Amino acid sequence: MSAFLILVKRNIKLFFKDKGMFFTSLITPLILLVLYVTFLGNVYRDNFTSLLPDTLQLSSGLIDGLVGGQLVSSILAVSCVTVAFCSNFLMVQDKVSGAIKDFRIAPIKSSVLSLSYYMATLLSTLIICLIAMGICLGYLAVVGWYLSFADVCFLFLDIVLLVLFGTALSSIINFFLSTQGQISAVGTIISAGYGFICGAYMPIYSFGETLQKIISFLPGTYGTSLIRNHTMQGVLAEMKAQGIPEAGMKELRDLLDCNLYFFGHQVDLPVMYLIVGIAVVVLIMLYVLLNKCKKQK
Amino acid sequence: MSNIIQIDHLNKSFASVKAVQDLSFRVKEGSLFAFLGINGAGKSTTINIMCGQLAKDSGRVLINGHDLDRDSAQIKRDFGVVFQYSVLDAALSVYDNLESRAALYGMSKTEFKQRLAELAKLLDFEDLLKRSVGKLSGGQRRRIDIARALFHKPKILILDEPTTGLDPQTRKTLWNVIAGLRKNENMTVFLTTHYMEEAAEADHVVIIDDGKIIAEGTPLALKNKYADDHVTIYGIEEDAVRSLGLPYEQVPNGYRLTLANPKAATELILHHPQLFQDYEITKGKMDDIFLAVTGKTLVEGAN
Repeated sequence: MSAFLILVKRNIKLFFKDKGMFFTSLITPLILLVLYVTFLGNVYRDNFTSLLPDTLQLSSGLIDGLVGGQLVSSILAVSCVTVAFCSNFLMVQDKVSGAIKDFRIAPIKSSVLSLSYYMATLLSTLIICLIAMGICLGYLAVVGWYLSFADVCFLFLDIVLLVLFGTALSSIINFFLSTQGQISAVGTIISAGYGFICGAYMPIYSFGETLQKIISFLPGTYGTSLIRNHTMQGVLAEMKAQGIPEAGMKELRDLLDCNLYFFGHQVDLPVMYLIVGIAVVVLIMLYVLLNKCKKQK
Repeated sequence: MSNIIQIDHLNKSFASVKAVQDLSFRVKEGSLFAFLGINGAGKSTTINIMCGQLAKDSGRVLINGHDLDRDSAQIKRDFGVVFQYSVLDAALSVYDNLESRAALYGMSKTEFKQRLAELAKLLDFEDLLKRSVGKLSGGQRRRIDIARALFHKPKILILDEPTTGLDPQTRKTLWNVIAGLRKNENMTVFLTTHYMEEAAEADHVVIIDDGKIIAEGTPLALKNKYADDHVTIYGIEEDAVRSLGLPYEQVPNGYRLTLANPKAATELILHHPQLFQDYEITKGKMDDIFLAVTGKTLVEGAN
């Protein structure tokens, strides 16, 4: 029996058997969707229509498709990271319950143990985020579908990449936690704060210049933008076809954070992938290194 | 019997607190070794160092001929540990728990199933395999804890207060299983306990306080050295007892005299045979030894 595979199986089973942890994770994207649709949908729609010149008339289906794409991208961008944190709290709970002590008295490498948490969190988070993606695509199909098959495939890739990122980030932060209180505190901070600093809750242009510069250094921002691009480029292309000039389209893409700028230079989609990919590799290496360097006290 | 555990001049401090100070002792292979001390005396620190969970400041630890500094992976295979509180996953079944723990020791699926069948029979949990550990009674869970510790056939079984909170019947059952393992597999048992009657069964006892050994030996040697003997006389008037001029206390249906050793008891009986119609001689208890050497009781220390 491979210790790694059995431990991954054990961690996933524990996650799905812990109803508190599982439902909290699953319910997060659903709550976000309901909140967005109920409260923010109209705000987004009004903001967008107020920007359109009076001479340009767009169909309500097109506007709903754009607003829906914006909502869905925000939900998915936030969920990939917050769900990873929820799922990865098992690592801390094992410290609280003493299970980790039971593992460490066995002749197993700490790298195997730490990677088993990473892999289990990755798989659990992927399952939940892909379910959320399915629900979100269903929502888009109802309000206005403008996605191509390629957009859906890229959206899948974006989610996998952002889940890899969220899992690696949560692994490093959770590495330093050891109590139930710390789990609650970090869970609250991440749930409340991550959506803002990754540009999911508020468009980046609405922040001050200094904050915009700081946010441009965070890989999560580019992950959000990737998802925004792939949920909205279909509807944006349709808008262009209906007569919005190129300059207007660029402004719109800037406002919707489909275009991101790093110190004034526009960041292309392949570079965004590269940034998030490198961030994932660096964070995983850092996580493994932390576990290897953890000295006995 | 050879020494399976050999500890020399072990030291460990946490900031300014000296948890273990110049600790040296030996444990014979196949023996039952009792390691006693109140909470904070240094027992857990010593065990954690032996199991490779804590780094020592200085000293030498040899387990089954392997030096802890060089062969910690091998040493981990020699130990099976039953923790004071169950550390199994309450939400998972007994089977899943044992499977995940067996995998840590590189067991194959066939080896796992074979060993599971052996232990389930030995510890009588064949009908509990599909039950969640969280739904088991205290005694049932303890049996699973012991099965987990024994899964990889360790040479040394560390029992960290294994019977705390268990009913007398379950305690008896567990001790019968452990006695069987010692007899049939020559397993060494390293015990910490708050139950002095369990320590009285040990081959060798070490008592530590403030990280230092303050007494060690066989239970009999310790009793002879640190505890008084008692003669209890039944069906006698207090005046007659008082006339003996020895310290005494009233017990149900009689009086208990405290004497320095069995020889003094024999002389007393020979000098006053008319008083000793119904009597018993008892040696001092492990509690008396613990109190004599530490000035504390284990129960007080536990609180």
